[in-house]
Amino acid sequence: MSRLFRKLFLSQRPAGSRLADLETSLDPSLSMRKLRNYQFTIADLCHYGFLGSVLLFVFIINPAGWLAKIALYLVFAALFLIPATSQFFFNALPIFTWLALYFTSSSFSAAHRPPITVQVLPAIETILYGDNLSDILAASLNKPLDFFAWVPYGLFHFGAPFVVAIILFLCGPPTILRGYAFAFGYMNLLGVISQNLFPAAPPWYKILYGLTPANYSMKGSPGGLRRIDEYLGINLYSDGFSNSAVIFGALPSLHSGCATMEALFFSYVFPKLTPLFIFYVCWLWWSTMYLTHHYFVDLMAGSVLSYAIFQYTKYYHLPLPETSVYSRWTYVEIKKFSLWFADPLNADDSDVENIFVPTILENDFEMNSMEDSEPPSIFDNNRSVSRSSATSNTSLEAQDELVTSSRTNKKE
Amino acid sequence: MVHFPKSFLGAFPLYIGVEIALGITIFNKCSGFYGILGLITGHDLDLMQWLLYVVSIIAVIVYSLALTQVYKPQLLMYSLTVVVFTIDTALTCFFTLWFSGQWFSAKHHEMTDPSSQTHQSGSPESKYARGENLASQSASQTAEFFFTMLVTLLALSWRFYFNFIILAFVQRLFRHPKYMVDLNDVEQDLKNKSQLAKCWYKSECICYKWCKHYLA
Repeated sequence: MSRLFRKLFLSQRPAGSRLADLETSLDPSLSMRKLRNYQFTIADLCHYGFLGSVLLFVFIINPAGWLAKIALYLVFAALFLIPATSQFFFNALPIFTWLALYFTSSSFSAAHRPPITVQVLPAIETILYGDNLSDILAASLNKPLDFFAWVPYGLFHFGAPFVVAIILFLCGPPTILRGYAFAFGYMNLLGVISQNLFPAAPPWYKILYGLTPANYSMKGSPGGLRRIDEYLGINLYSDGFSNSAVIFGALPSLHSGCATMEALFFSYVFPKLTPLFIFYVCWLWWSTMYLTHHYFVDLMAGSVLSYAIFQYTKYYHLPLPETSVYSRWTYVEIKKFSLWFADPLNADDSDVENIFVPTILENDFEMNSMEDSEPPSIFDNNRSVSRSSATSNTSLEAQDELVTSSRTNKKE
Repeated sequence: MVHFPKSFLGAFPLYIGVEIALGITIFNKCSGFYGILGLITGHDLDLMQWLLYVVSIIAVIVYSLALTQVYKPQLLMYSLTVVVFTIDTALTCFFTLWFSGQWFSAKHHEMTDPSSQTHQSGSPESKYARGENLASQSASQTAEFFFTMLVTLLALSWRFYFNFIILAFVQRLFRHPKYMVDLNDVEQDLKNKSQLAKCWYKSECICYKWCKHYLA
């Protein structure tokens, strides 16, 4: 097993490269030192301010005992302070914030919740998409289709985020996992906030009750998944969806959002397999409507939310993957998307072609200990020369800036 | 003289706006496939629905091709894209009006027909009441109408904004020396191509001439 792992992932590892190594220290003083030296930007303040506000809100509102809540928050504080665990847990802060809010949502008092809309979603579906698409796709039911719909909605949806995270960690460029945690967590967090602020009834409600007004004392419904429970002789989905934390949380569909996010990240790292990932998203969209859990407009809202957050993450956080490199240990440098270089309207014919351009090296590696060490420059220079065509439209002034910033980074 | 936006949301380069506009529009235009898939379940489509879904599928193809080259755009392809997007925007306005009429007529039928699910199911409040004031937990008819109109108008507003962003982007491409096109070269290349490719290139050339006339 370890031989296979070495052959698949470590055989192309550059000698002496520590870029993909993980932090193994258990000393909290390392994290404290890093925190003291960290320069907070406005974006950081918005990010941590927002997540902190949600976590404070959850801390106050959640009906669990105060001691239990304090203990849980202290456990997470410890996990954030220990470098070996912090590299995973702290970067997943948006995901934990989403989960905290989601599981607290069921305890919100009905008196403080906004009124539930029943007609808005089917109305918008007809107005924007020409028909009640979710209705007509659920009109013809049979057992093979039930199972075909169940696979992405009831199975893959719950396992896929972990599988995607593991594959991205192993095969993507170093630090991509923290980008995935950021995008996935924010998408779900904003989705749950929207579901709470704009409660709307899903298609199963219209099938059961038509357009009659809804209220918060009603139980949820598993929709088409009730048939899967019957086939398998279990009560898993009936119990789960009847007591869902957000029963009227049709808008947006986080099933659609998650599938889209997973497909976007996989397409980013494995562009040749993009048709497969598009098929998966389309399959999940169909199954969601077939099982009467969401209107088409919910699916669009989930996917658009995912797409917008993914684009932001791509522009500002994600490392650039290299084509035909499928192991994190093969990378010799971390490059990020440059808004300026990618702009087709900035390209100028008078620029010098194929000129040496220094690599933008990212200093914020997975390991804290990398901060004080020099990266293996022999590989950087070789790779930079070979990649000069990718930045051939760079003006000389911009290159000067890059040289300066690269040197400054190294000094830091 | 129309002044197009110089940046996306006042802060980002135009190509980011184009990438986001095309991506979001592609998602929404996928409805065409699902509308036609409804035929398999025995659902009939009327003329307007056929038209909407076929236009959506054509739009998905054009926008997807444009999205793949957003960092290295070709002026001919983007001329076609901007023309299709603009026609699509006009059609979207028409379809929105048309299907709004359809929905409100269907809703009136649902609310007044004694055999409809709304009347057959009875009030769920009576089944689940726990002595609370449940009426205030559901949106009023006015709120339902208000939110329906608000979301529809917001969707249309974004559609127009995205259209302006793409128009601005193509205008900048026309004014950039790097993207100049020689139509004679393109016609030379067409000799050994299939009929579909010739048709595609002809469409691109027609759109290019329109755009050059109105945008350049």
